[in-house]
Amino acid sequence: MSFGSAYLTLPDFEYVKPKSLQEALQFIDQHKDEAEILAGGVGLFAFMKERLVEPRWVVDIKAIKELQTLRDDGSKGLTIGAAVNMNQLLDFAPIKEKYKALHDCVSLLSDPLLRNRSTIIGDICEALPYVDGPTPLLIFDTEVEAASVKGTRRIPMNEFIKGVAENALEPNELAVAVHLKPPPENSKSLFLKHTSSSEFSIVNVAVLCANPSRPEARTVRFAYGAIAPIPKRVHEVEDLFKRKTPVPKLIDEAIESIKKSAEPMTDVLAKAEYRSHMLEVLAVRAFRRLLGS
Amino acid sequence: MGYIGKSMPQYDSFLKVTGTATYAFDVELPGMLHAKLVTSPHAHAKIVKIDTSKAEKVPGVVAVATGQEFPYRLGIYVGDRDVLAIDKVRWVGHPVAAVIAETLEAAERGIDQVEVEYEPLPTVFDPVEALKPDAPIMHEKMSEYRVSPAFKPIPGTNIANQFKLVRGDAERGLKESEVIVEGEFDIPHVSHGFMELQSIVAHYEKDGTIEIWTSTQSPFSTRYLMALSLGIPIDKIVVKAPLCGGGFGGKVGIGWEPLVALLSKRAGFRPVKLVLSRKEQFSSAPVREGFHASVKAGFKKDGKMVAYKARFVMDAGGYADYTVNVCRAAGYSSEGCYEVPNIFCESLAVYTNKGATSAMRGFGYPESHWALERIMDMAAVKLKIDPLELRLINILKPGESETGTGERLREDTGDPVALAKSVAQAIGWGKPPEKAKRPGRYRGKGLALCIKGPAQPPNAAASAIIKFNEDVSVDLNIGTASFGQGTPTSLSQIVADELGIPVEKVRVGLVRSTDLSAYTWQTVGSRGLFTDGIAVMDALRDAKAQIKDVASQVLKVKPEELEIANEQVFIKGAPWHRLPLSEVVFGYTYPDGRSIGGPIIGRGKFMSPLTTYLDPDTGQGVPTIFHTFGGAGVEIEVDVLTGEIEIINAAQAFDVGKAINPLLVKGQIDGGWVMGQSVALYEQIVFDEQGWVVNPNLSNYRIMRAKEMPHKIQEIILETPQSNAPHGARGLGELVMVAVAPAIANAIYNAIGVQITKLPMSPENVWRAIHERRPELIEEARRKLRESGGE
Amino acid sequence: MTQVISIKVNGVDRKVTIKDNELLLDVIRDKIGVKSVKAGCWRGECGLCTVLLDGKPVKSCLVLAVEADSREVKTAEGLAPEGQLSPLQKIFVEKAAMQCGFCTPSFVLTAHYLLSVNPNPTESEIIDYLSGHICRCGTYEQIIEAILDYAKQHKQTEKATAQKAK
Repeated sequence: MSFGSAYLTLPDFEYVKPKSLQEALQFIDQHKDEAEILAGGVGLFAFMKERLVEPRWVVDIKAIKELQTLRDDGSKGLTIGAAVNMNQLLDFAPIKEKYKALHDCVSLLSDPLLRNRSTIIGDICEALPYVDGPTPLLIFDTEVEAASVKGTRRIPMNEFIKGVAENALEPNELAVAVHLKPPPENSKSLFLKHTSSSEFSIVNVAVLCANPSRPEARTVRFAYGAIAPIPKRVHEVEDLFKRKTPVPKLIDEAIESIKKSAEPMTDVLAKAEYRSHMLEVLAVRAFRRLLGS
Repeated sequence: MGYIGKSMPQYDSFLKVTGTATYAFDVELPGMLHAKLVTSPHAHAKIVKIDTSKAEKVPGVVAVATGQEFPYRLGIYVGDRDVLAIDKVRWVGHPVAAVIAETLEAAERGIDQVEVEYEPLPTVFDPVEALKPDAPIMHEKMSEYRVSPAFKPIPGTNIANQFKLVRGDAERGLKESEVIVEGEFDIPHVSHGFMELQSIVAHYEKDGTIEIWTSTQSPFSTRYLMALSLGIPIDKIVVKAPLCGGGFGGKVGIGWEPLVALLSKRAGFRPVKLVLSRKEQFSSAPVREGFHASVKAGFKKDGKMVAYKARFVMDAGGYADYTVNVCRAAGYSSEGCYEVPNIFCESLAVYTNKGATSAMRGFGYPESHWALERIMDMAAVKLKIDPLELRLINILKPGESETGTGERLREDTGDPVALAKSVAQAIGWGKPPEKAKRPGRYRGKGLALCIKGPAQPPNAAASAIIKFNEDVSVDLNIGTASFGQGTPTSLSQIVADELGIPVEKVRVGLVRSTDLSAYTWQTVGSRGLFTDGIAVMDALRDAKAQIKDVASQVLKVKPEELEIANEQVFIKGAPWHRLPLSEVVFGYTYPDGRSIGGPIIGRGKFMSPLTTYLDPDTGQGVPTIFHTFGGAGVEIEVDVLTGEIEIINAAQAFDVGKAINPLLVKGQIDGGWVMGQSVALYEQIVFDEQGWVVNPNLSNYRIMRAKEMPHKIQEIILETPQSNAPHGARGLGELVMVAVAPAIANAIYNAIGVQITKLPMSPENVWRAIHERRPELIEEARRKLRESGGE
Repeated sequence: MTQVISIKVNGVDRKVTIKDNELLLDVIRDKIGVKSVKAGCWRGECGLCTVLLDGKPVKSCLVLAVEADSREVKTAEGLAPEGQLSPLQKIFVEKAAMQCGFCTPSFVLTAHYLLSVNPNPTESEIIDYLSGHICRCGTYEQIIEAILDYAKQHKQTEKATAQKAK
C-alpha cells in the first residue's frame, strides 16, 4: 500500500453544515458510517483522494457554536472544542502558560497555513501512528468527550486510540471536545519530537513535572508516541520519580522502564532500532530539562 | 550600454510574481477533454485482457484507449518505450490504459472501471540480480528497438547500455600503485520534484496536424522523436513550450506527448489534457536511476593517482531511454577533474522491475562524483596528504592535461587551482573548525571538486534569429526553453549590449513554438547559454553586417568604417555622420522614395567543430563542447546522538568564464546547493518487496524547505574566459549540485572519522553508520546525555 | 448536490455554480479563471495552492468550494492594482526571489500575510512561516532576504513618515 493521492478530485458526496450540535448528532446517528466529519479537512481530504474513505455525506461542524469552545476553567481544566483550529490554540495564552507540552506540540505540527484549518481533535481521531496530538494530551489526563443522540460519555485519552486509523468512537458518535485536567500548580511540561527522512514524526515524547527538587512532592508524567500504532503513557516511570535517589539515577531507571514497555515498529519512516534509540534520547533530554540535575 | 556582467532580474519576473505567467499546467483549449491513466499494480506481468466496457459507460467518459491501439516505440537514444504497455507491464505504476472524459472527475471515475487481467511474471528488483544469466528478461524484443549508434544494449540480457572508458592500462596501473583505496558507493532513486507537474495538452486535428502544449525543456526533440516514432511528417507536428515550472532534466527527450496526441485522435480529434498527479510523478513517470559503484583507485606515495578502476551499475527500471546516456556520461566522467593515466570504467544501465528512469540535473556526474570525490578523501587519509593538496596534485591542467577520454583540455577552460583554493579559503581550510558547543556534536570541514560539460550528440545544433521592429526594438527568436535558469534573459542582455539598445527593447517571448522559433536541440546539459549564445552572437554579427551594408551605401564609406551604438550607425571617429537605426532596419528610403536594403533578419547558428563520437570500445574522443570546473566546500556539525547534520558554512565556486548576469549565476549556485543538499541528506524513493513506491508524496519523500537552509551559502564566481564562448561564458546549471553530497560526506569524516558511502545522509542513516563504525562516539554522547542532559 | 455560491475574488463579486465535492482550488482556477493559484500535490504538502481566505492563508486544495460561500478570496493578482506590483512584489523581483516562478505566487501571498501580522519578523519566524511551502529551484535565501528587506524598508518608511508628522 502506498499513500500518494493519484486522484486529484474528491469522490461524490453531499455536504451538510448543521447549525446545532443536536442537528449534527441526529444526522450522524441516522447515517453512521456513511457520514464523515469535516473540521479542518486536512486528513479527511487526503484519505478521500486516496479513495480510502468515500462517505456519502460530509458533515461540516465548523458552524456549531458548542464546538468552538476554547476555555480554561482554572480548577476545572481546559476545554477544546472540535471546531477550534490549531492556530487558535497557539494564540490562547493559558495553553502556553499551563499546558506547554500541548503548545509545543501544536507549534511543531505541519505548518502555519494548515494550522489555520486543522484541529487537535481531528488529529487524534485520525489515529495514525505519526500524529503527534495524542502524546501531550496523555500527560494531562485528557478525556475525549464523545456525544451522540443518546447522550455524552468521556473516553480517557489512553483508551481512545485503538490501532492504526482506529479510534474508540462508535459510528454514531462525534468527538465534541477534549478536556484536559488542570496540571499540578507550578508544573512545567514539554514536548519533543524527531523526524528522519520524512516530515512525519518517528518518535515523540511529552513530559510534565511538578516540584522537581522535592522527591516526596514530585510529580512526573511521561508519554510517548509515533514509535508504534498506539501512543502510551508510562505510569511505572512516574511512580519511580517519587524516590529520594539522585535524579540522574532515576532517569536511568526510567529509561530502562520505558524501553521495556516500548515496542517500536519498523516502517517506511524509520527502523525500530533507531526509534528505540531516539526514544531514549528524547526522554532523557525531556527529563533533564524539567528535572534539572 | 554594458549589459555583460550586469545583474538584473529575469525579464518575465512581473508575470511570475503576479501569477499571470502561463504554464502548460494552465493551458486550456476549447472543447478540451481530460485524460487519466490506469496503471499496473504488478511489477512484472503479462497483460491478459483489458475490459474497457464498464469504463466507457461512465457518464462523461468519451473513450478508453489501451496499448494495443498504439504500436509505436518511443525514445531518444533507445526506443524501448511503448506509448501504453502492450504485452506486459514492467513495474508497479506502468500505464496500461487511458480514460478520456469531459471532466477530470469523470476520467477519475472511469479509471476505476477499467478491468485488467494480469498474469504475474517473476520479478527482479536488484540490478545485480538482473545481470545474472537466469534473471527474468525485461525487454525480450530489445533487438528490434531503434538504438542510437552511440549506445550498446545487449539483447538477451537486461543490459540497456554498456559503456567502457579505457585509457592506458588500469590493471598495470594498480599493480604499480603504492597505495590502493577501495570503496562501494550507493545512491537511491530520486525524483526531480519539479513543482509544475508534467502537463500536456494535445490537439490532433482532422487534417493530420498536431498541436501540442507541453511542460518541457525540449520542444524540438519532442517534435522530431514523435514524428520518427509515429511515422508522421515533422512539419505536421507543432510543439509549443510555454514557461516551464521546473525541468531539472525530467522534461526532456520525449515524454507523454505522443500518448496525449494519440488520445486526442482517439477521442474524435478533440483536444485532450493530461496532468500527472504527484504520485504518478513518483511511480509512473521516469525518475533518476539508482546507482551503485565499485571503485578501486591506485596512488603513488607522493599523491599522484595512477589508476582508477570502477564499475557502475545503474538500476534503470522498466524503461531506460535517457538513462543509457546518463550511464555513458557517468562512465566518461568517472575520473572527474583529475589527470589519471590509467582508467578502466565499465558503466552499465540495467533494466529491473522498478519505475522507468531518465535524465536528471547532473546527468551521471553527481553519481560518478559521489564515488570519486569520496575516494579522493579516503585516499588522502591513507596517504596522509591533505585532501585539498591531494586534489591539487592531480588536477587537470588546462592546455596540457588530457581527460579520461583523451581530450586535451583547452587552455582557456578555467583556473581549477584558483577555484579549489577559493573554495577552501571560503570555509577556512587549514584552520580546524571551532569546537561544537553542545555535547555529542562534532564539526568538520570537507570539500569536493567537479567538472562538467553538456552530454549531447556531437552534432547537436543551435540557431537564432534576430528581427527588428520599426522602433528598433528587437525580437530575439531562440529555441531556449525557460524553466527558471534565466538563460533567455542573459541572451537578451547579449543582444542589447551588442546592438547598443536598452535591454527592455529586446523581446524574448514566452512560448517556444517549433514552427516559428529558431531551432535548438534541447535546453539541457547546461548547454543553453553556450550553444544558443554562440548562435545569438552569430545572428548579431549577421544583423550588424546587414545594417552596415545598407548604411555604408548611404553614408558612402566602407562597412568596416562604421560602428553601431545608442540605436545609431555612424562613422568611427566622426559620429556626427550617422543614421538612426530606425531608418536602416527596415531598409533605407532615399528622399526621392527609392529604397535599398529591407527588413534586417540576423541569422545565427552553432554546431560544434570539435566534438566527436566516442570510440565504441574505449570511450575515447571529445564528448563535450566545454568543461566547467566547480567545487563545493562545507563546514558541518554532526549530532552523533541523532545523526542530524547541520550546515554551518557552505561555499560553492564555479569558473563560469564570464557571468553575463551575476544575479542569475548566484541564483543557480544557491539553488543548486539547495537541491544538492536535499538529495544528499533527505531524498530517497523507497520501494517495497513487491515493487510499490512506498513514499510517493511530499511528506514521506522529503524535499528541502526553508528551515533546512544553511546559515550561509557563499557564491564564488571565477571568470577565466573561454575564447570560443559567448563573451567567454560557460554553462553551470547542473554543475551546481554535483559536488555538494561528497563535500558533506567528506566533512562528516573530518568531524568524526566515519566514512559514509550511501545516500541519503538522513539522520537515521548517519546514525546507523556511526553506530556501525564508531559506536563509542554514540556511547560517550549517551553517557553525557545522562549526566548533563546533553545540551 | 449542486448549488450557487457567492464568492468575492480579488475584489470582484462572483456567483459560481459548484458541486459539493469541488475543491476551492479547482473552482478558482477552472470556473473563475484565476490561474495564479497552482497545485503540485493536492495534499497540502507543497503550498502551491495557497490563497488568502478572508485574509488568512489556507491551502485551497484542502478546502471545499462550498466552504468559501459568502467569503473573500485574494490571490497574487489581487495584491496590487492591475498592471502594477505591490511593494513586496517589487522587492521579490529585485532580489530574484524566483526562478521558474511556479511557486512564486504562493510565497508572495504567504509573505504578504506574515508581514501584515508581524511587520518585523525575525529570520527564524520567517523560516517557520514558510515551512509549508516548497521551492524546488531553491530560492529560499532570496525569498527570506526579500521579506527581511521589505520589513526594514517599511520600518524606515514608517520612521520617516512619523518624523515628518512631527
